[in-house]
Amino acid sequence: MAKELRQIAIYGKGGIGKSTTTQNLTAGLAEAGKNVMVVGCDPKADSTRLLLGGLAQRTVLDTLREEGEDLELDKILKVGFKGTRCVESGGPEPGVGCAGRGIITSIGYLERLGAYTEDLDYVFYDVLGDVVCGGFAMPIREGKAKEIYIVASGEMMALYAANNISKGIARYAKQGGVRLGGIICNSRNCDRELDLLKAFSAELGTQLIHFVPRDNIVQRAEIRKKTVIEFDPESEQAEVYRQLADAIEHNTQFVIPKPMSQERLEEILVEYGLFD
Amino acid sequence: MSNTIDPHKLKLVKRPKNGSITNPYYGCTVGAAYSVLGIKGGVSIANCGPGCMYKQFFMMSFDNGFQGAYGAGAGNMPSANVQENDVVFGGLKTLDNLIKSSLAVLKGDLYVVLTGCSGELIGDDVPSVVKKYRDKGYPIVCADTGGFKGTNLTGHEIVVKSIIDQYVGDYDGEKTPGLVNLWFETPYYDQNWRGDYEELVRILRGAGLKVNILFGPENEGVKAWKKIPKAQFNLVVSSWVGLETAEHLKEKYNQPYLHIPVIPIGEEATSEFIRKVVDYAGIDKKKSEKFIKKEAELYYYYIEHFAEFFSEYWFGLPSEYAVVANSNYAIAYTKFLADQIGLIPKKTIITDNPPERYRNAISEEYKHLSDGVSIEPDFVEDGYTVQQILEKEVTFGHGVPLIIGTTWEIDYAREHGALLLESSSPTTESLVVNKSYIGYKGALSFIEHIYSATVGGK
Repeated sequence: MAKELRQIAIYGKGGIGKSTTTQNLTAGLAEAGKNVMVVGCDPKADSTRLLLGGLAQRTVLDTLREEGEDLELDKILKVGFKGTRCVESGGPEPGVGCAGRGIITSIGYLERLGAYTEDLDYVFYDVLGDVVCGGFAMPIREGKAKEIYIVASGEMMALYAANNISKGIARYAKQGGVRLGGIICNSRNCDRELDLLKAFSAELGTQLIHFVPRDNIVQRAEIRKKTVIEFDPESEQAEVYRQLADAIEHNTQFVIPKPMSQERLEEILVEYGLFD
Repeated sequence: MSNTIDPHKLKLVKRPKNGSITNPYYGCTVGAAYSVLGIKGGVSIANCGPGCMYKQFFMMSFDNGFQGAYGAGAGNMPSANVQENDVVFGGLKTLDNLIKSSLAVLKGDLYVVLTGCSGELIGDDVPSVVKKYRDKGYPIVCADTGGFKGTNLTGHEIVVKSIIDQYVGDYDGEKTPGLVNLWFETPYYDQNWRGDYEELVRILRGAGLKVNILFGPENEGVKAWKKIPKAQFNLVVSSWVGLETAEHLKEKYNQPYLHIPVIPIGEEATSEFIRKVVDYAGIDKKKSEKFIKKEAELYYYYIEHFAEFFSEYWFGLPSEYAVVANSNYAIAYTKFLADQIGLIPKKTIITDNPPERYRNAISEEYKHLSDGVSIEPDFVEDGYTVQQILEKEVTFGHGVPLIIGTTWEIDYAREHGALLLESSSPTTESLVVNKSYIGYKGALSFIEHIYSATVGGK
């Protein structure tokens, strides 16, 4: 029996650590023997650097631009840490064209070129900042990614963004099967961060699936173009990412989020001391 | 009269919109490429998807009396044929190449780059490319005519404004007394525009005005456009198209404007029109009165002949009519037939989707078509719906129904034994070269065509 492919999209405010978290947790899944593909859906094309050891990945759109439409899969798909398959959608030059349409084009090409093979257990889409337009919602449309995780922290703007992203998910949940699997806290060491994130998740109708404490080992690994699991497999932080991978592997809570009003969000923030 | 409605009880008919159009009556914003072709020496460069221009050509020219086009254009307009790569990476390089090639092979005095949906959606910086060529000395402007902005008429105003702002430029010199900019029918879309321009220009000149002709057979191309700021005033002879231009010119060049919303047809309306314009311009009335006298004499010479037929031919002349046409032609034809021929208006449907802000004023004109005759126009932009309305809401009694309409009304006309005179877009069963139904002379042609159909011709 063919195994069921889980397609997962990771969203969150810009700079929150989506790419770092995605790569570290996929390293955890790969280490556990899962077949994983990571699709970077960010014009900056930095979603697979740690898995590929810094190899400058040619993006789908760069390849398309330079070589035309006759693409071959091995030109755009590179194999990284423990067999993870890495693709970067890429984008146009800043200020030109339509990056959203670029995402749609890239995913279309991946499908046509047969990147979605039957042996895959997971496809992760690491999507830029927010569901800013229809193009960046592409991974959650048309039955692609059915699971979403939002990376957030105890900072106010991260929670604003998470709430907004939930609105996008709620919209698409009505048409397709997309569900929110939980919030991943990438800690910024804010006061009462864990409590705040738990309360925020509960209000959204979802769970705080994992709390990733802040640890400089992540930065040290990044400088060496590695995930923490590859850089220092024995470290505590590596274990944290393995736990996150495990939590996602065994997750059963998939919900249609209930985005809150601005007022309610601010009430929660006040309650946990973010506003004085 | 059964169809006489108390004007005070009139309300706008609001029809539910279902968001889709089965049988269209107008082109999209980028269809204004044909306004550029209405200017001698004007070359349109279409920065839009493949197929866009082809469709516009059919709505504006081919399926609109097979008008063809003058100069560079018709069905062979330069187009960027924007594709997916241009959307993702931006289409400026493609456009740059297209402009370069167009300038090399198409001789023109004014080039207008019209950007359609795709370029507008992704926010391509078209002005930066166009400016490069303008800085090299080419007469070139660009217009943001994304199809989603509205109809070809919306586009017409955008194109005119773009040419004024980017090509005609600033001016604070003297005005020329008696010089008037004529803002009249929309080139190609108003299918008799060429003949109509000739007739209206003849009338205005006859009345003693110096006419700055911006479109049509007698326009002097870019020379006329450069003269715009010098005119004493702007004359808008149109239901609503041109008002935005006039407002813009008022602000930009401090030029007042006179708006005459009903294109005059027949002696009474045309003579009244002349007097109104001459009054406004403040020029000598002797010349205009002499002209009116001469034209009226000629007009009634012919009408007297026709009256013989009209009173003697009792084998089924139409007595009731419906008009399905764009704003300009709808009011002009509805009014003339009611006021001068004495026919009974049963239904007028306006097909060009005028902006909401103009609709009350447009409807107002139908409240006094003639003494005691008024009608409430419908605004419907889908030929399929129009057919349903005609079926359900109109009865023509025992006479032969007369429909001044479009090709979309052919099935209805056939089924009801109606006489159909195609006179608005789309029109596929008659050919237009220099036809005109307006003014003194056009009125006589209009009568000829209607009653030729009546006696069995086409």
